[in-house]
Amino acid sequence: MGKNLEELFILPRQLVDEETKSVVVLVRQWAEKEILSKRMEYRENYSTLFVEARKKLHLTIGLQWLTLPEEYGGFGWDTHTNAPGITGVLSEIGRADAAIGVLLAMKYALFATIAMTHNLNKKLCGTLSPLYVSDEIKNPVLILPGPGRAGQETPLFLGRSIGAEAKATKGGYTISGTDLRPLSGGSMADLFCVVCAGKKGTPCLAMVPGDAQGIRRGPSIKTTGLNACENAEITFDAVAIPKENVIDRDGVVEELYTWLNLLLGAVSIGAGANFFEILADWSETRVIKGGITLKENPLCASVLADVAEETALAKILLFDLAHLLSRPDHWDSNGRRAFTFSEMIGSRVQQAVMRAINRGLELMGSAGYAKEWHAEKHWRDIKTIQSLLCGVGAEAPVKMDTARFFYNCTEI
Amino acid sequence: MKHFNDFSRPEEYISPFDRHFRNVIRKHLEETVMPFRRQYDEDWKDHHLIEPAFDKLMGELGLQKSLFPQEYGGWGLAQSDYIFRMGYMLSEELGRADTGMAVALCVTFWPLLVIMIDPFVNERLIKEFAPMFCNTKKAVFAANAMTEPQGGSDIENLGLLGGKTIRTTARLDGDEWVINGHKLWPTNSGGVAKLFGVPCTTKPGSNDPDDFAFIFVPADLPGVTQGGAYEKAGMAADKNGDIWFEDVRVPSWYRAHGPGDDAKAFYQLISFGQMASCAFLTGAMMNLYERLYEFVSTRTYNNRPLKENDAIAGIIGRIAGDIDICRILGHEAAMIGDRRNKPYGKPLVSEDVVGRIRNIKDFVSDRAVENFGKAMDVLGAYGADRDWDIEKHWRDIKIIQLWMGGKQLCQMEAARYFFNCETL
Repeated sequence: MGKNLEELFILPRQLVDEETKSVVVLVRQWAEKEILSKRMEYRENYSTLFVEARKKLHLTIGLQWLTLPEEYGGFGWDTHTNAPGITGVLSEIGRADAAIGVLLAMKYALFATIAMTHNLNKKLCGTLSPLYVSDEIKNPVLILPGPGRAGQETPLFLGRSIGAEAKATKGGYTISGTDLRPLSGGSMADLFCVVCAGKKGTPCLAMVPGDAQGIRRGPSIKTTGLNACENAEITFDAVAIPKENVIDRDGVVEELYTWLNLLLGAVSIGAGANFFEILADWSETRVIKGGITLKENPLCASVLADVAEETALAKILLFDLAHLLSRPDHWDSNGRRAFTFSEMIGSRVQQAVMRAINRGLELMGSAGYAKEWHAEKHWRDIKTIQSLLCGVGAEAPVKMDTARFFYNCTEI
Repeated sequence: MKHFNDFSRPEEYISPFDRHFRNVIRKHLEETVMPFRRQYDEDWKDHHLIEPAFDKLMGELGLQKSLFPQEYGGWGLAQSDYIFRMGYMLSEELGRADTGMAVALCVTFWPLLVIMIDPFVNERLIKEFAPMFCNTKKAVFAANAMTEPQGGSDIENLGLLGGKTIRTTARLDGDEWVINGHKLWPTNSGGVAKLFGVPCTTKPGSNDPDDFAFIFVPADLPGVTQGGAYEKAGMAADKNGDIWFEDVRVPSWYRAHGPGDDAKAFYQLISFGQMASCAFLTGAMMNLYERLYEFVSTRTYNNRPLKENDAIAGIIGRIAGDIDICRILGHEAAMIGDRRNKPYGKPLVSEDVVGRIRNIKDFVSDRAVENFGKAMDVLGAYGADRDWDIEKHWRDIKIIQLWMGGKQLCQMEAARYFFNCETL
């Protein structure tokens, strides 16, 4: 491909400062050196290489503490204005490997609820920061509300069942829940950020250390994509945690979702960009009808245009969301506007990237289906992210949330 | 509607053997394939699990001999008036269980059909190959070695290109054909097939149908080299790889029919393949319905079963509606095939048949890809789980949309047929 991605897809430069640009470049170099140039090896020796590549990203470059405040040893990207920068970083990682991006997205989403200047939780930050500003990779994972089971009434977060319960005790809380499904990475988690039902069923967040007593992890789950972060169902048998590990301020779960939509969107647009690169190379070297390159055939060119259009628009839309989140004065008082827009855009971005990849695979044919070309991995990874983000019921919950915001629906 | 059996199909099209045959196949697959299919992905290379399942299905149950005439030990289905519809039934049941197995089995029929379907029947070759398939309890596979490195879908685009881009050559030397060339991706390559049907050219660069040759090549001949199986997104039961033919010699009578007729008989194959593709997809979608039914009945949103929420019902209702429509269309594709050579039908070697069946396959493929993706989203956090089977079907069926020239060739065939395009 004769052009680079930055020339092709607009990055709103006014949203990112020089420091951000340099971090993005650093991550891009990591992606190219550690992942993109080693993809054949990566297929053969996935787990070992994955760990080493992540160590370089998290510990050598320091992305593990990127969003922690400076006073806690972090890099200090701990304000809303860093939203576009974090988006840029995660999209570079997604271009290399979506699974690595998802693990980091969960980490940043969690930090966004406890370590940003406007909501800094000093006690929790003080406890967690030393663990994260260290020479070991840490893997916090999220457990979100999802489908409930017929015949069992559960507390709800906007229709989604909350499977875990946080019960206040004298010294803190006990967390209980059976066969809970982490977003990803449950087998390797050292901290669970769990959406629980607190007092009167109100949603809250509980931070449960992975080595706490009473945690049972199920067998690893075989999934479509994101295979580098092994997942397992988790059961909490009245796991005791200190009081400060529960955050029950109003809107905290919405805030977690808000950031998650942005951050997983960033991973997906990165993967989409790499798929675009793969397809562009393919379309320049393959011929049909005995001699015409694919890109010079009008029908194939229109499919290529679809891929470019979806990829470009998804990026513009996502950076618009990042811009919105970087300006809290544009949110409403309870964060519902930001939550709703993040859901709408998050859902639309995943759909766009998925459509781009599906269309592109149509042109690549069997090569797109073979692991050798790496296109199919993006296809599996992004579909996995899309389904995870749906939570339950496809786009219906997001539609309901959207209708509530715009039309004041009260019964849905 | 309570059972996947109840999705619509035109009952007047159905073969009298359908019910009995379908029940036998279904029971067999439910016992020998469906309980184990979740482990197939890890078995893609060695087929430790998959090979015994094929032995039971093709060898012991005997499906691999079904096309051959009874006098050679077969069941005589190739000469049946119901061959497309029986093929549809079999492919649909297989697709419900595992589309990888479905394609591996049905592609075994594919090159054999070139010499078995009226009016292109080659008794000598049928007699020659019958023992290979009929006298064993082990699974025996055949493959149609079409795709070449430089051409992609060009070979399937026979109507336009007439074999002009084929680089695999066949040269007559005395009473033997000498084959040279390189093929990619045939189903049942990667060391599986014992017999290849190989589209070749006797005059490179020619688009004269007389220069197109379809020649059978036993896989164990000197000069045939097979590469290892490719690693893919899905379809673990179907191995694909490279095949090189280097001065491979076969008897001259291993050519299917001769100048002109080879191209016509091969062209017939396209429609059989597209019809079977529809059946794989409707079978897989019937299983989608089964698995989705369970999920939406037992899992909740707003503390009510998913299926009782109006918004989610709108999504799953559309999925089921699409399955219903696709199944009707798939059976229509099969019926178009079985109307061949009848006073009220069209020959398989006609743009009419090829265009219409490709069109149906394109439509059904799109709906299947869309519906499996949507169903995964309905399952949400569980959508990507192997345990729910839907993600496996989602991975497996994507290649059905892409193969045999893919979506764009289907669109071109439709445009050519419906709009009389002359230069596409």
